[in-house]
Amino acid sequence: MAYYDGLFNVLGLRTWCDANAGDSNLSMASLLAKTKPGTADDGPLFPFPSMDELHQACSSMPQSRDFTASVEAGFLEVKDVLKLVLDPLTQPLSWLLEMALTGFVSAPWWIIIPLLLLLVWYVTRSAAVTVFVTLSFVFLGFIDHLDAAFQTLAIIGVCTGICILIGVPVGIAMAKSNTFQKALIPLLDLLQTLPTFVYLIPLIFLFSVTEPKLYGIAIIVYAIVPVIRLTDLGIRLVDRDVIEAANAFGMSPRQKLFGVELPLALPNIMAGVNQTIMMSLAMVVIASLVSAPGLGVLVLRGIRNLELGVGLIAGLGIVLLAIILDRVSKAAIARVSSDQTEA
Amino acid sequence: MKTITKKARHLGLAASTGLALSFAAGSAQASDCGEVSITEMDWGSAIIVTQVAKFLLEQGYGCTVQVVPSASTPALASVSETGEPDIITEVWTNSAPAYIPLKEDGKIKELTEVLSDGGVEGLFIPEYLAEAHPELTTIAGVLANPDLVGNRMHNCPVGWTCQVVASQLAVAGGFEAAGVEDFVHGSGETLAASIGSAYSSQEPWFGYYWSPSTVLGKYPMVQVELGAHDPSVHSCNADKECPNPTLQSWPSSVVTTVVTDTFEASHPAETDLMRNLSFSNKMMNGLLGWQDANKATGEEAAVYFLSSQSDVWATWINDAARENLAALLQ
Repeated sequence: MAYYDGLFNVLGLRTWCDANAGDSNLSMASLLAKTKPGTADDGPLFPFPSMDELHQACSSMPQSRDFTASVEAGFLEVKDVLKLVLDPLTQPLSWLLEMALTGFVSAPWWIIIPLLLLLVWYVTRSAAVTVFVTLSFVFLGFIDHLDAAFQTLAIIGVCTGICILIGVPVGIAMAKSNTFQKALIPLLDLLQTLPTFVYLIPLIFLFSVTEPKLYGIAIIVYAIVPVIRLTDLGIRLVDRDVIEAANAFGMSPRQKLFGVELPLALPNIMAGVNQTIMMSLAMVVIASLVSAPGLGVLVLRGIRNLELGVGLIAGLGIVLLAIILDRVSKAAIARVSSDQTEA
Repeated sequence: MKTITKKARHLGLAASTGLALSFAAGSAQASDCGEVSITEMDWGSAIIVTQVAKFLLEQGYGCTVQVVPSASTPALASVSETGEPDIITEVWTNSAPAYIPLKEDGKIKELTEVLSDGGVEGLFIPEYLAEAHPELTTIAGVLANPDLVGNRMHNCPVGWTCQVVASQLAVAGGFEAAGVEDFVHGSGETLAASIGSAYSSQEPWFGYYWSPSTVLGKYPMVQVELGAHDPSVHSCNADKECPNPTLQSWPSSVVTTVVTDTFEASHPAETDLMRNLSFSNKMMNGLLGWQDANKATGEEAAVYFLSSQSDVWATWINDAARENLAALLQ
């Protein structure tokens, strides 16, 4: 006697319901009732009319598991079409990641490290930061974590580059259109909070798990959100009076964007870039769960083998990379800001 | 107003005393066994084992069972440091390097092989591939036709013992030179998903998996013959640094139930139940197959086993429990 029996009787659906009687599996509650007849727990006083609850009263009602199974079946149906569309779009990501990884790993350290240090000096013009970066690389090399660190750096570099390339234009578009912003904000919320494995496992059905684009997509989808949000914010925060003055000068929208809005929004945009880099590094271990090489693999090895030291040191290596990238991007921001105040 | 409040207060007092007495009465029945904590690992056979054990302990022995979702390594670590949980189910000893030192220390007691035939580990290909190309059922055939298996061996994630063994087998058999790449997955989930993905598109697949498992129950696979197992050379295969591994099959994996030494001393009857609780591979694969065919949960598979195979589990429990479960044993 299920709770909602009466409901189906009143609606005249009893014959339809009983057509599939005996189809469902015996539940634990029924087994307990058989074991201790008479002392069976009748359940809550007023159960919520959920799919499973209604199914108990009427066997023809689908159960909740049929709902999840239909979502899975739907995905498997559209899988081939999705693959046809998404594969070419994401192939460049695979190539870039493969090129970066081969480049960083095959080049000898006495070429890569000086090149990186030159790049740091060029971007920051700060002796303190360059010395810090040198010491960090020396330390990582000394404890045999240099290859893993370079692999992680390559992946983060490519993914952050793509995030900025796609994120800044999208942020600008959001800033220019209120409807677009309203439409995009829920999507950005989704990208930041949807558990990564939930969409990664279906993606394995689309692309092979051996393709770098899988972890590339994982990182980009999560890390692109700050740069979009902060670009949108930065441009919207540009002083109204300055915009009015630009209009008074007769600037076209394109001139306004590149000459006024972007330069003034640059501190916010750079803050967004900084946050994107940080969030990419936060995704390193999850990326390793889908076969990304680098420090994440060492962290996972440490966790699985209960080698606490391995996990801790690799984790600290990731923190070190984060500090390096943070200091470098902050020094670059400071240079850009000081250039602006000088002008 | 005042009289109503007084009456309400009296009623409240009576009600709470009644509740307290009933709680006392209820717990007096369960105080023989008390609270027992048992792990539930997240793969198919482990869920069935835990749910069956939970039902028998609660309904037969009057325990209050706390199910702890866990995995092998953290559960063993927890037991060695804190002595909790009391019962660890389905420890695949081949995959848990922490197991042997803990057993030697005496902190954990190995009760029985819960999968009595042991787990089967090896390299598998999908059934449709074996039917289309029967030569791929031996490793020589695979190495001679690397394109037919997708030029790749799907290896276990770093940190699993099987990864070391499979990589050593790849070295011993010259897989890379033959055109079969040793691809180490990032996690068990991607390994399982790659099988699902290959099956849904009927694509080639070749790599490591184990039985009994939900994946192999759902996607029939055929084992690739690697040659007879020689225990004396297996220790070299299981060592990453060993320079000369041999191409051979895995030993049958011992899968055990483990209890803490304090639990064994304080709960002898329940320990006996866990000692007797054991499934053959045929039984477990049958349950997993039933579970997939009927879209059932692990709990429902346990219910199916308890209600349809009472002759099996009746031999596991003691006389007192048999009395409690008389209604099911008819």
